[in-house]
Amino acid sequence: MSDSFAVNIDGVSKAFGAVKALNGVTLRVRRGEIYGLLGPNGAGKTTLIRLMCGLLEAHAGSVTVLGQRMPNVGVLRHIGYMTQAAALYPGLSVQENVEFFAAINGAEAGVKEALELVQLWDRRTSVVATISGGMRQRCSLACALVHKPELLLLDEPTVGVDPQLRVQFWEYFRRMAAGGTTLIVSSHVMDEADRCQRLGLVQYGRLLAEGTPNDIRSQGGSQNLEEAFLALAGRKES
Amino acid sequence: MSGHRVLAITRRLLEGFRRDRRTVALLFVAPIVILALLGYLIRGSSSAPAVGIANEDTGPLGATVAESLGQSTRIETTEIKASDGDARLKDGSLAAYIVLPSDFSQRAGEGSIAPEIHLEGSQPGEDSPVLQALQQSLISIAARGNIHFAPKIEYLYGGPDFDTLDYFGAAFVGLIVFFLVFVITIVSFLNERSQGTLERLMASPLRRGEIVLGYMLGFTVLALIQAVEVLVFALAVLKIHNQGNVLLIFGMEALMVVAAVNLGIFLSMFARTEFQAVQFIPLVIVPQFLLSGILFPVRSEPLALQYVSNALPLTYAVNGMRDIMLKGADLTWPSLQLDLAVVAGFGIVLIAAGTATLRRRMA
Repeated sequence: MSDSFAVNIDGVSKAFGAVKALNGVTLRVRRGEIYGLLGPNGAGKTTLIRLMCGLLEAHAGSVTVLGQRMPNVGVLRHIGYMTQAAALYPGLSVQENVEFFAAINGAEAGVKEALELVQLWDRRTSVVATISGGMRQRCSLACALVHKPELLLLDEPTVGVDPQLRVQFWEYFRRMAAGGTTLIVSSHVMDEADRCQRLGLVQYGRLLAEGTPNDIRSQGGSQNLEEAFLALAGRKES
Repeated sequence: MSGHRVLAITRRLLEGFRRDRRTVALLFVAPIVILALLGYLIRGSSSAPAVGIANEDTGPLGATVAESLGQSTRIETTEIKASDGDARLKDGSLAAYIVLPSDFSQRAGEGSIAPEIHLEGSQPGEDSPVLQALQQSLISIAARGNIHFAPKIEYLYGGPDFDTLDYFGAAFVGLIVFFLVFVITIVSFLNERSQGTLERLMASPLRRGEIVLGYMLGFTVLALIQAVEVLVFALAVLKIHNQGNVLLIFGMEALMVVAAVNLGIFLSMFARTEFQAVQFIPLVIVPQFLLSGILFPVRSEPLALQYVSNALPLTYAVNGMRDIMLKGADLTWPSLQLDLAVVAGFGIVLIAAGTATLRRRMA
C-alpha cells in the first residue's frame, strides 16, 4: 500500500435502474487529509462513499482504496464507516455497541480510548435506545473509529447534530487527521467546507470542481463558498 | 368527531396499500390458496387406510366377511398372512390388519363373533374407518340374531391409554419450537437491515458466512433453552406419553431449530420491512402445518400433495418426533435415521442459501 493516494476514483459511473447516480467521476484523496464531499441531497455523495467501502460496485471506471481495487474484503479492516443514520443496536449499551464493532475488527483494546475520544466514557452503560440523538451520533462515530482505521468514511456525520457538538466533531476529525488518518466527510452544509483541506463538489452525479476551499472560491469567482458552489453548478448546467 | 378527518385516515391507509402490492396479494390471494389447499386436502384425501386381511377360518364365514371387507369403500384391503402382519404395520405399508381366526365360523355358530384387529395406532384418524368397515361387514351376520360381538383389539403403538394430546403432542412440541424460532429470527435479521447495522457489518471485514453462523449460534442457544422448557412442560406438566429417549427428542428439536433459524435468515432477504417479514408466516407456516402430517396422515393425502409434503422439512420432523415419542424409535430405526438426516440436510442447505443470498453489495 505504498500508493500516495488513500482513495483513487477513476472515471466511475454507477446507475440504479434508469437513474444515473454517478457519471464519470474522477477524484483522488491524499493520505492524511480531510477531504470534503460537498453537494446537495441526491448528488451522489453516499453512492461514492458506498463504492469506496465496497457496498456498491461501479458499472464503469475503477475505485482503488489504500492501494486495493474495490470491492476487496481484505482492505475493509483498514476502513471505518459511519453511516448517515446512527446505525447502532438500540438494545445494547453504548459500550456494548462499541465493543461489538471492535470485536468484528479485532480491536478490543481500543474501546476505552474511542469512548473517551467522543466523551461517552461516563455514559458507557447507558442503553442506546435511551440516549439523545447527539449521543447516538457520537457513539456511532466511536464504532467507526474504534479499530483505528487508516481511512475513515463519514457520511453526513453532522446531520441533526447541534452546533456545539458539530464543533466537537470537527475537533475529533482534526486530531485524527493529525495522527495520520485519512478522512472523507460528506456534507451538504457549506459552512463545514472550510474545515476540510480539500473539497470535491458533486452535483447530478458529476464532480463539478475539486481543490482547496480557496481554489473553489477562485474557480467560482466568489469569496463566499456557497455562492462559488452555485456559480460552478450554474456554469456546468449551462 | 369529524368525518373528514376519519376519512383522511382511511384514505391514507388504502393509498399506502396501493403501493404495497405484496400485502395486497397476501390479503386477497393467501386466503384462497389456504382454503383451496385445505379443500383439496380434505376432499381429495383417500381416507381409506390400507388394511391386511388374514383369513384363517376353517369354516365358510371368514371368506364371506373377508369378501365383504374387500368391497368396503372405507378401507383398501389386501390378503396377508397373520404372521406378516406386525412387520407390515411397522414398515408402514398397512395401517391395520384383521385376523379371522380358524375357529371364527365355529364361534359365530355359538353366538360369538371374535375377529382380531391389530391397529398400527400412531395415526388415530386411521383407526375408525377400519372399525367401521368391520362393523358394517358383520351387520349381516349379527342380523341372524343373538350374536355377541367380541372383537380383540391390539395396538402396535398408542392404545386406549392414549388421548388426543398424546397423539398430537409429539408433533406440536416440534411445531411450536420451529414456528417461534422462525418468527424471531426473520424479524430480528430484518431489524439488522432496517436499523442500518447490516450495512455497517457489510462494510467491515466480516464474511457473509460468519454473519450467518454467528446469528445461527446465537439463536440456537436461545432456541435450545426454549426447546428444553417446552419439552419439560410437555412431559412433566402435561404428562404427554413418551416411549422414547428424551435426548433423542431434544436432538430432533435442535435440528429443527437450526433449520428454522436459517429459514428465517434466508427469507428475511426477500422482505424489506418487518411488515413484509411477518407476511411470510402464513405462507411458510400454514402450508407446513396442513401438509406435514400433523392433522392428516401424509399417506392419505392426494398424490400431488404427498410430493409437496415430502419436500417439507416439518414433515420429517413431525414424523421423527412421533416415531420417538409414540413408537419409542431409537437411532437403529431406518425411518428415524432418514428423518434426522433430512432435517439436518435442510438445515445445511438453508445455511448455504442464507449465506448466498446475503449480499455484500447493495445493488
